[in-house]
Amino acid sequence: MELAKRSLSRRSLAFALAAAIVGTLLGTASAQTITMAMAAQPDTLDPQVTSATAAFQVSKSIYDTLVEVDRNGDIVPALAQSYEVAEDSLSYTFHLTEATFHDGTALDAQDVVATLQRMLDPETASPKLSEFAAITGVEATDDRTVVVSLSQPAPALIASLASGWGAILPSEKIESGHDFGNQPVGTGPFAFVEWQRDNSVTLNAFADYYQGAPQVDQVVIRFVPDSAVQLQGLTTGEFDVIDTVASADQATIESNADLALVRDPSGLALVAAINTRREALADPRVRQAFNHAVDSQTVLDVAYGGGTPIGTFMEAGSPWMPDSIEPFAYDPERAQELLNEAGASGLSLDMALPQPYENHIQAGQMIQDYLSDVGVSAEIRIVEWGVWLSDVYGGAHDYDLTVIGHTGKLDPTGRLDGYATEADNYPGFDDPEMAAWLESGSQETDPDARRQVYTNVLQRMHDGAPFIYIGTPDRVHARKASLEGFWITPMLDSFDFRTAHFE
Amino acid sequence: MTRYLVGQIFSFLVTLWVVLTLVFLGMRALPGDAATILGGMDANAEQIAVIRERLGLAGSLAVQYSDFMGGIVQGDLGDSLRERRPVTAVLLDRLPVTLALAGMAFVLSLVIGIGLGLLAGLAPGSIIDRFTTLFATAALALPEFWFGFLLILLFAVNLGWFPVLGLPPSGLSWQASWHLLLPAFTLALPRSAQVARLTRAQVLEQRMSDYVRTARSKGLHPRGVTRHIAANALPGVLPLLALELGGLLTGTIVVEQVFGLPGLGATILGGISARDYPVVQGVTVLAVAVYISVNWIADLLQAVADPRLRTV
Repeated sequence: MELAKRSLSRRSLAFALAAAIVGTLLGTASAQTITMAMAAQPDTLDPQVTSATAAFQVSKSIYDTLVEVDRNGDIVPALAQSYEVAEDSLSYTFHLTEATFHDGTALDAQDVVATLQRMLDPETASPKLSEFAAITGVEATDDRTVVVSLSQPAPALIASLASGWGAILPSEKIESGHDFGNQPVGTGPFAFVEWQRDNSVTLNAFADYYQGAPQVDQVVIRFVPDSAVQLQGLTTGEFDVIDTVASADQATIESNADLALVRDPSGLALVAAINTRREALADPRVRQAFNHAVDSQTVLDVAYGGGTPIGTFMEAGSPWMPDSIEPFAYDPERAQELLNEAGASGLSLDMALPQPYENHIQAGQMIQDYLSDVGVSAEIRIVEWGVWLSDVYGGAHDYDLTVIGHTGKLDPTGRLDGYATEADNYPGFDDPEMAAWLESGSQETDPDARRQVYTNVLQRMHDGAPFIYIGTPDRVHARKASLEGFWITPMLDSFDFRTAHFE
Repeated sequence: MTRYLVGQIFSFLVTLWVVLTLVFLGMRALPGDAATILGGMDANAEQIAVIRERLGLAGSLAVQYSDFMGGIVQGDLGDSLRERRPVTAVLLDRLPVTLALAGMAFVLSLVIGIGLGLLAGLAPGSIIDRFTTLFATAALALPEFWFGFLLILLFAVNLGWFPVLGLPPSGLSWQASWHLLLPAFTLALPRSAQVARLTRAQVLEQRMSDYVRTARSKGLHPRGVTRHIAANALPGVLPLLALELGGLLTGTIVVEQVFGLPGLGATILGGISARDYPVVQGVTVLAVAVYISVNWIADLLQAVADPRLRTV
């Protein structure tokens, strides 16, 4: 009896094991899941309390915005099927479409009102609050209409509403103090299932999505910081799409027929900031000389895997980039002349480079070499990201040179505001005339006049050269050749799985 | 016994207090705080001040310290600044991964270390003895991050036997044990080398003792002799095993990074870079507690295995 029981339990154990193995095999066989590997990871999935690109890259699939960015970078209707701007530009009227939240409640005007009020509430402490500061009132005039009133014209507001931080949340959940950071609920194409920090986020297709259900059943996003591991996973089939490709690996992927390398312009403006507060760096000629000394195309190719040089503080593909502003030519002789004119010799600089951004560090090393060709020596100091934010970018601005990428903004105010006032920008650039232009640009509602204002600003940023302008890197991601319809939003760099499917 | 226990608990509390105070001060000595990092490059000074207020970081160091210590006394580790939920929940999410990894690695190092050590010690000069010596030297010399990458390259990429990531997307489960094998082996390797060396030395020492000669000369079966040797050699290995267990916890930090495992190692590293003070402090409390209890357990086990130590 005792013996029989034991052998039975052993058999059932073997059965369970076999079942587990079969289950594993079946699980991997289902093709309707897209697995993506991304290098960074969100700090929270509450769109109103973060400024991290990684958070919006993931939350893009969970939430919708009133308006959104299409593949060309144009702002198009989304949850608002249309909107009107009042004659005096002091109010916007949004007409909502029919949509459903993942918790089953229907979208109505009250949700938009509650969302915007939550953004404006100091208790929320949103890092994006200033973008909404012109709003004086939000009112639901009927179930499907919302009127937003402004204290002054704010042409940049539509861009903020199209960005990840403009996501619309359900009012019932807002009122009950729901934890959107860990349990996000939106109207997006995919509903949140699970978030295992440092490991994965799982999202299921939302059948009632207002633009029609997505074509795959599930999206799994894995957090894989190492680009070598990402590539290994793509090669072995664990991942269907990866967001980081080292420049050295591009050729490997291109030569593999099962994989596809996708290259499009990112929204980044890469720069080496020059601390203009330093006496030796106060002369614009010195800073222009630095720009001529660096071969930015080579820096882009080697450190960032390719890209387009820029000549001012705006990403290359932006509609705001004036055609009239050319990148500085690589011309070490001209650089030397400018340095001589400015009477700068024997410069010895402190270059602070942010860890863990390997490509910025590599770019910094190349810039160090180029500068030494014109007799400027720079000593590299690697600083941890938190230190960089608090001591280099902020605080005492303890640096002479540093390399960083500025993320894409849909409206030029997001990129340029503060760059004419010494206290408000890290290179310490100060230009009262430009400050006046920025002030008028933020309120100018005539598109042509507004464009002219920002062209002037960007020309001043070119001439004054508070940065060594490097360029806009290509955003290179790789996918299985059979995966179609996945795209990354221009400027905002968020992931769009709505039309993604396997051929 | 009671006096002993009270003394142990007192020394545990003092150790915990000193370590926590050091971690508290050390974290705050780092430039930047959670508000600067949350605000990133987009928030201006004013907004960062608002975020700082919201996170409860605006108070003076003394206020923050007394809040923190007051919380600890009540068993409250506070809320994670980054994850905006209780630190206990964060730790409970991550602890199983680290425990599974450390547990697997411990068993592996035990099996490999004691197995090789016994075999080598019982037959000094044999091929297996020479292999063990070579293995121990090599395994101790290999850095974990390098060996881990090597294993991934060979078994996951070239042979495709294992997945490249340490955990399936669903997290810890039975299937995960397959994922965990490579990282556990990476972690176990240097430890098994140490265990093998010590076991071998203990066995050799026992082999020379008088009782073994007596047993042999009276004609005891060789298997019986081996049993005696093993029984007397293993208690000497126990203190090392306890140290190893403590070391496994720190070792997981490196190995978790290499294999992308979401355990306590990843948590403390992420916590440090996000200046998530409560999380770093919470992991510290846990690590100190585990370290000290492991040593206690080892003391107890040694008493069980070696009757001469049973004084009470």
